[in-house]
Amino acid sequence: MWSKYCLAHLIVCLCALLAFPAHAAMRVDIYGPGQNTVSLALAAPLKGPAAEATGLGAELNKLVQENLNVLPFMKLTDPRAVLGGIVLEGAEPPKLDFNRFQIAGADIVVTALWPSGDSGSGVVQMRAFETNTGNRLFGKEYAGVTKKLLPEVADRFCADLLEALTGNGDFFRSTLVFSQKTGKMQGNLWIVKPTGRDLRKITNIKGEPLSPAWSRDGRFIVFTHLDHKSHALGVWDRASGQVQRIRFPGNTVIGPSFMPDNRVAVSLSNGRTPDIYLLNHAFQKERALESSPYINVSPSFDSTGTKMAFTSNRLGGPQIFMKDLSSGAVSRVSKGGSYNTEANISPDGTLVVYSRMTDYGHRIFVQDMLTGEERQVSFGPGSDEQPSFCADSYFIAFASTRGGGRSIYLTTRHGGEARKVPTGVGNASFPRWGLTGGGGKGK
Amino acid sequence: MKRFALIAALIMALAAGFGCAKKTTDDAVAPDTSAMSPEMQAAIQQITDERVYFAFDKYALADEYKASLKNKAELMKRFSTIRVRIEGNCDARGTQEYNLALGEKRARVVYEYLVQLGVNPSQLEMISYGKENPAVEGTGEAVWSKNRRDDFRVTAY
Repeated sequence: MWSKYCLAHLIVCLCALLAFPAHAAMRVDIYGPGQNTVSLALAAPLKGPAAEATGLGAELNKLVQENLNVLPFMKLTDPRAVLGGIVLEGAEPPKLDFNRFQIAGADIVVTALWPSGDSGSGVVQMRAFETNTGNRLFGKEYAGVTKKLLPEVADRFCADLLEALTGNGDFFRSTLVFSQKTGKMQGNLWIVKPTGRDLRKITNIKGEPLSPAWSRDGRFIVFTHLDHKSHALGVWDRASGQVQRIRFPGNTVIGPSFMPDNRVAVSLSNGRTPDIYLLNHAFQKERALESSPYINVSPSFDSTGTKMAFTSNRLGGPQIFMKDLSSGAVSRVSKGGSYNTEANISPDGTLVVYSRMTDYGHRIFVQDMLTGEERQVSFGPGSDEQPSFCADSYFIAFASTRGGGRSIYLTTRHGGEARKVPTGVGNASFPRWGLTGGGGKGK
Repeated sequence: MKRFALIAALIMALAAGFGCAKKTTDDAVAPDTSAMSPEMQAAIQQITDERVYFAFDKYALADEYKASLKNKAELMKRFSTIRVRIEGNCDARGTQEYNLALGEKRARVVYEYLVQLGVNPSQLEMISYGKENPAVEGTGEAVWSKNRRDDFRVTAY
């Protein structure tokens, strides 16, 4: 496993910005209330003037296309709509004919050039241009590209492109962890890219893992480990692939979450009720983050570690609350409905997503902490639960029974059509995002 | 000195293996009652048979279960080798993390009542399964009401 990450790291090291500075003229606002849509055309990969790269180049283009198709604000231009075709004389002006892409409705054209050919291993230069101005938005060279590394290169390119267009490319640097149930109180943790690639099982444990959460550095995953006898805090280490199991007095471990400094917050029993505790780096109780005679569970933190969203039944039924960890002030977040749980705060601290019980099952809602507005972002059928924000504060993963069994879906802070993430056989739940792509992290 | 230490270690090992009359049970199955006295069999049956049920999103102990819990307490005091795990459960409607906490509250309210009645806390343990261990599969209040419960499992006797 590590060899893959080493190779990926090598790519980053070899990656160099192309000689010319990019004109960051175009900016796609995906965060505002009226989300832009951008049309993008992929030119045929080249290994020379008008010479199509049909080896690794074609494979990489296909992977990039699959990746970009996942973005709800991006529309890929049909190559058949490009008059004169998508095989170009060159990968950049003046040999790049922007008119044909403009006529086809594309706002952006992406070119790929394999200067030393695309068989075996090689170098690929990826560029993106605005079609109406001809300005280059992005350009980067990826070296040491092999067939095995193509998915990694596609993810890196798409992360870089997304960063150039929206200011944050963390979606393509992320990996989802989720719990796959195989029987009553039995299951394992799996990981998968949000695009559906690299699906694999990472634990082999007895009992069931619930509520997994990544550390900010992408090395650890903590989770509730439940079996017939006990609760424990499970800690999976990417370096060793092993799981450590830590028990606590009171036999209650619920909803662990990492703080930005890699310390864990988790609900443990205080002898009366589950409260939220901060653990030290040795996973020992350090202090209570939230304590009351009521249930306090599901802590989640913004990227500064000063805001904590959580669920509490202090007002009767379960509702979402926010605690300012600097002042200790607690305020209620969810106002509608009598059963709101599973709070998850966006890393930028501006939104809280949670699930609400309705007459038709649970639905996902987003509360804007700046305006106080609440928006429903999932509509079933079935039950939609366990929402989780990506590091970009834009994408939301959640578990839903809309397809019969429980599966993982993606939506955005604006809602819109949910997209299923392939997770294999079995009920998948508790999707949580982690930044595992290496390289520079988004803003 | 070495010989003494070896003998002491052997004695300790034997004590650990055979010296205690307490038997532990496999958690996945009911205790084997064939080798125990009829009184103990009856006590275990009464302790495990009668469940405590709860209203939706509630963990208050209803009066109707207090007589049954008093009986369990008397039996546990009489048979002090019996160890019982109180297992808190919820129906499928709530969400998992909140239900784990709710299940703990349900287990704890019964634990505290039994201790109040004089049961030695060392005879009791608790766990919440949330909604992960339903007694009955399905939907509808008839099913849900059977799953909002405390189970009693004898773990040693």
